[in-house]
Amino acid sequence: MAYLIRHYVFTITVLKNARRRKNAVKAVNTTHQLGVSILIPARNEEKVIGRILQRMTELSYPKDKLQIIIIDDASTDNTGKIAEQYSKICSYIKIVHRSEKEGGRGKASALNAGFKHAKGEIILCFDADYYPQKDTLEKLVEVFADQKVGAVQGRVTVLNEPQNMITRLVALERTGGYSVDQQARDNLGLITQFGGTVGGFRRELLESLGGWDESILAEDTDLTFRVYLAGYRVRYVNDAECYEEAVESWRAYWKQRYRWAKGHMQVFLKHWLKVLKSTNLTFKQRIDGLLLLTVYFMPVLVLLSWIVGVPLFFLGPPFWSSIVWAFVPISLYSFVGNFAPFFEVGVGAYLDGRTRAQWLIPLLILTFLYNIPICTKAFADLLMTKISGKNNNNWEKTAHSGNGNCYIMS
Amino acid sequence: MISNPTPTTLILLLLGVSTFIFILLLPALLELKRPRDAGPRIIMEDAIITQRFQARGIAPITSIEEEKLWLDHTVAKKIADIIAVLPNLET
Repeated sequence: MAYLIRHYVFTITVLKNARRRKNAVKAVNTTHQLGVSILIPARNEEKVIGRILQRMTELSYPKDKLQIIIIDDASTDNTGKIAEQYSKICSYIKIVHRSEKEGGRGKASALNAGFKHAKGEIILCFDADYYPQKDTLEKLVEVFADQKVGAVQGRVTVLNEPQNMITRLVALERTGGYSVDQQARDNLGLITQFGGTVGGFRRELLESLGGWDESILAEDTDLTFRVYLAGYRVRYVNDAECYEEAVESWRAYWKQRYRWAKGHMQVFLKHWLKVLKSTNLTFKQRIDGLLLLTVYFMPVLVLLSWIVGVPLFFLGPPFWSSIVWAFVPISLYSFVGNFAPFFEVGVGAYLDGRTRAQWLIPLLILTFLYNIPICTKAFADLLMTKISGKNNNNWEKTAHSGNGNCYIMS
Repeated sequence: MISNPTPTTLILLLLGVSTFIFILLLPALLELKRPRDAGPRIIMEDAIITQRFQARGIAPITSIEEEKLWLDHTVAKKIADIIAVLPNLET
């Protein structure tokens, strides 16, 4: 019920603000341009690394205030060589090579390695398969004029959307997740989430927090909560858009979402009590924070309720006598309850003017169902980890095909 | 209310539910088979560059072929060359 209310409040908030946002021509303040270091961790990314590096050279942000650090995380392909070529031409591009012994321990470890070389006042992160707008940095850095802002997050848009059904569904999820969910949290002063890429931190704050926690799979969510607990806030900038390459198979989807689910659950165990006790968080931030931390437990609860509910349904009073009455609350709940996230996605697509993409919304039931075994497995593995005391955090990297390259206009 | 369900009732119920699910998914299946959506979403480019031009009173020239805003210096130079060789009507 809490999630139902949350989804509707978010959607209505964004809808209310949408007209105002549409009519207002937002002028970006280019006078507040701090030194920026961009960290790009890359492990076997030869198919996409050239694309983002080329884009980095095209950014409109002043090059004398820019430092780009590629962390070649023990790649066995040509990632390092491609990056070296760019580094020779552009003095502001630096390569950090990691050996097989040092590298391959996950994104957090690679980012920490890159952070040691960063000189900018603002530390931004981009994944190797990303492709930002030319003026993304100006839009992201602008919010740091407010001293209470500790981190920033931009919008992620799926580049290889027309590839297949999965990429199209992921694109829909992204639309709802960013332009509605994140935007509403920002508008309402709740917990805006740093998503690990297309965003970053104030350098001093990141240093004081000790960088990325390498023992957590969702290192971005972990940092989000540490930023809030330290008394700062994360801002979401919907206009700062960046393309990403979405997963293209159900297997890749499983790997990615398993990592997110397990990581979120780890963050829950690490921070839930601190969130409840924190004096730096408002009451509504504490509620939203707990809902955000427990979101990946919901599919596990759904499975549990099915396991308990189905036998009860058949073993209980004869259902034929009350089938019509049973349909009324179930239908009501299904339309206003379970479908709330679908409604959110639909409104996101509507705001983007993607009326035809909305036709695919009923298929999101597939990802909803698929997330049930994913989250249950993540939960079971986490329990096993806690019982056995062995930390088996294997970072399953998402492979990138470079298929999105064809959609970028040269 | 169905007090004594017969096989016919059950078949009708099954058919009804199947038809409902089919109708629910029909638009999605149509869109998958013949995509009309123009995705991926095109992200806005060069907003700041455009703003800078506007702030200086320079109207960027629109390239119809590429449908994006840019200041075409080659076209501007050609126009300047043409104007330079035109006879001065004031003298």
